Amino acid sequence: MDTTEKSSPSKPNNNDNEEQEEEEEDEEYEEIDEEEEELNQQIPQSTESKLRNQRFKVQTLSRRLSSELVPIRVHDVIINGNTKTKDWIIEAELDGIEKATTMQELMQACQIAIAKLQGLEIFDSCKVKLEAGPIELPDTANVIIDVVETENKLSGAFGVYTKPSTNTWTSEGTVKYKNVFGYGDLWDASLAYGGNQATEVSLGVYAPRVKGFLTPLLARIFMSSQDWQDFSSYKEKLMGMSLDLISTKHQDLVYTLGWRTLTDPSQMASRSTRRQLGHGLLSSLKYTFKFDRRDSPFRPTKGYAFVSTTRLGGLTPDNRSLRFLRQEFDVRLAVPFGFYNTALNLGISAGVVFPWGKGFRTKPSPLPERFNLGGEFSPVCTLGGPTTLWGFKTRGVGPTEPRRQRRDEENDGTHDFIGGDLSVTAFADLSFDLPIRWLRDQGIHAHIFAGSGNVAKLTQDEYKHFSPRKFLDSFRLSAGCGIVIPTRLFRLEANYVHLLRRDEHDRGKTGFRFSFSAPF
Amino acid sequence: MEANETTQRNTLVVRKPCFGLPTGCPQCLSAYIYLKLSQCSFHLDYHLNYPDSDQIPYFEAGDSVIYNNEKEGIIECLKKDAGDLDVGLSSLSEWIPNKVMLTTWLADALEYELWVGSDPSSASSIYYSDLSWPLGKVLFWKKANWVKLKHEISKDNAEVKEEEIYGRANSAYDALSTLLGEDNYLFENRPSSLDAIFLAHALVVLQAFPESSILRTNFSKHANLVRYVQQRKEELIEAVGTSPSNDPYFGAGASSSTSGGPSTSSSKFKRKPKKEQQTKEEKKYKRRAKYFVVAQVVAVVLFLSIMSGISDDGEIELDDGDLEYGYDD
Repeated sequence: MDTTEKSSPSKPNNNDNEEQEEEEEDEEYEEIDEEEEELNQQIPQSTESKLRNQRFKVQTLSRRLSSELVPIRVHDVIINGNTKTKDWIIEAELDGIEKATTMQELMQACQIAIAKLQGLEIFDSCKVKLEAGPIELPDTANVIIDVVETENKLSGAFGVYTKPSTNTWTSEGTVKYKNVFGYGDLWDASLAYGGNQATEVSLGVYAPRVKGFLTPLLARIFMSSQDWQDFSSYKEKLMGMSLDLISTKHQDLVYTLGWRTLTDPSQMASRSTRRQLGHGLLSSLKYTFKFDRRDSPFRPTKGYAFVSTTRLGGLTPDNRSLRFLRQEFDVRLAVPFGFYNTALNLGISAGVVFPWGKGFRTKPSPLPERFNLGGEFSPVCTLGGPTTLWGFKTRGVGPTEPRRQRRDEENDGTHDFIGGDLSVTAFADLSFDLPIRWLRDQGIHAHIFAGSGNVAKLTQDEYKHFSPRKFLDSFRLSAGCGIVIPTRLFRLEANYVHLLRRDEHDRGKTGFRFSFSAPF
Repeated sequence: MEANETTQRNTLVVRKPCFGLPTGCPQCLSAYIYLKLSQCSFHLDYHLNYPDSDQIPYFEAGDSVIYNNEKEGIIECLKKDAGDLDVGLSSLSEWIPNKVMLTTWLADALEYELWVGSDPSSASSIYYSDLSWPLGKVLFWKKANWVKLKHEISKDNAEVKEEEIYGRANSAYDALSTLLGEDNYLFENRPSSLDAIFLAHALVVLQAFPESSILRTNFSKHANLVRYVQQRKEELIEAVGTSPSNDPYFGAGASSSTSGGPSTSSSKFKRKPKKEQQTKEEKKYKRRAKYFVVAQVVAVVLFLSIMSGISDDGEIELDDGDLEYGYDD
């Protein structure tokens, strides 16, 4: 007699399903009970008395399961339904089942296994059945896994997003093809297009298990182009591949190998930008440690978060690749006040980038790796490093250089933002509910904020002239208030921002602003 | 910020120095020689990682820049800044034919010799030696293909085309040899922009190519041309010592240049030791690249074995792989 422990959540009729599940679980207990008590010989009974008998057994078993550990041993695991998927891919997800020594452990292991199998995205449904083991082996069970491989191997997705470092919306379309080789492999091709500013084409493969390998394999080849001509007079093209070496909840280690080309089609670049145009080999390892204990990424009211990102470039034997070390820190704290859902959010971010290798003191840091501040993005939402500042436009803060001056034309006084090697930002944001019930129900609230930040150049011997006092004195400062509309996907802020301190060449002004932010 | 330091500073930005020349690139060298001939003071700086750019050489005067790919090339633009050497010469009847010959037949022959005809090490040293190995190789291959396409060279007509290109270059050498005679300069015994272009061509042919090079052999047959190049070289490149003041500030841009600055050691047209040095360097990089590949393979194997060890132990942290969202409820 087979019993089903749990069916796929994708199955319709959820309510019925739940009831069914309960019944099925009951049946399962009954079955195990039967097995344990070795009641294999059935005496012909009426249906009613049979049901009564079964109910009694189920109740006995559930009492037993709740009061004591029921010993059991898994005799065999049988996998059915996988026509293409390799057995070992499924077996790898059933790790805890064979090691279960009690009924309770086995049930928990089965639930975890089902969740893991469904997480592979290659099955339409997964069911686990528990059967009695051979008669001669008491206290044993056979676990039968029934999977239905997904019929529709092709799937697609489309989305629109914006990043804190860019100033455009990017639309992205992805096509996924599942389980081509039967290794649970997911292949995807994606195209991201952000107007004239950014384009990215990439192909990726995800394999949940590579034989004898603990972490999943995630590899991508990509080709991207980013236009920074309006801000810094250069265009960046990057093509290459990236490989996720470690990817867990808190840690991430990615290796990137790419060919980066910086060009200046307008031929108007400033001196610093001009000298960095050309080709470079990027071979870098990026390690991210992230710890987020805040209650929400959109409106944090309690908790704290910490992110550290380290990037080491130049992992090649010769000294001709791009050699740099980039470190970023971000610390967030949300303090609840206990009335009107009021909370104070505090954040400090810092980042530094430096070249390394022979003559590193006089070398410049790579242009795309430098820090730039500004952008219509809320600092509350951007966890990851110094990137934004209320009231300033994208790449609107930082060291500048005059653009090329044409002989026959008058100097128009435009500048390139060349980015800095050291960046520090800090903000305080006090959010509170509004005294209108409807707004409160929608999560719409108000906030008062103040933000500050600065970027400085350290490379090419500039660090010799660096003075912390001067750096602090030239911090840009902005403050304001506004309404925040958090949705499931993004956070919309309508703010009035007043710039308290700004530099001559900074791009930003006092006034009303809208910003869309998504947790990044 | 940096603008104040650069105002009123004239800087010629060129490709890397090599083969005993202040720069190995013929276009850069002609701009350099032009400025030297017009006795304009300038600093020299290097742009090493952009071999396929037609913007190089460029001349910076404060915030204004003259790029090589603008208008009629850098020399025409430099005439405004450094003085026009061609006044009174450009109206001569033989000026235009010679200019056309220099900028087409000889320029094409040099291009062909660098990327297709000769040993690729010359072009590699001049253009690609400061780029990582795979990037340099791909860019070299792209340029070589472009040259073949430009001259419509295919497998079938390669020999005919080669003969045609070298034949034209030879005719040009003959014509220039006749034009020069025993004079010190091509026209009216005074320097002109065509001297700069021809000297740059000749210096690259004589110093950058191996002795087996057809172009070099052909050129060496013209004794008066060799004498002329030798004399001008002594005046313009060697007499000024290491010549241009190589500002350490700008030198920073040169970063990993292997040769550092213009060499003055080889006054004779010999490039063997230099080539050996180059090949040694290449060998070193190749060896290092092999070590790198081996190290990567070892690292991957180690990583795999360690990870498989862990997974065999079954110590999977559900915390890391589960679907839980990282925020407290």
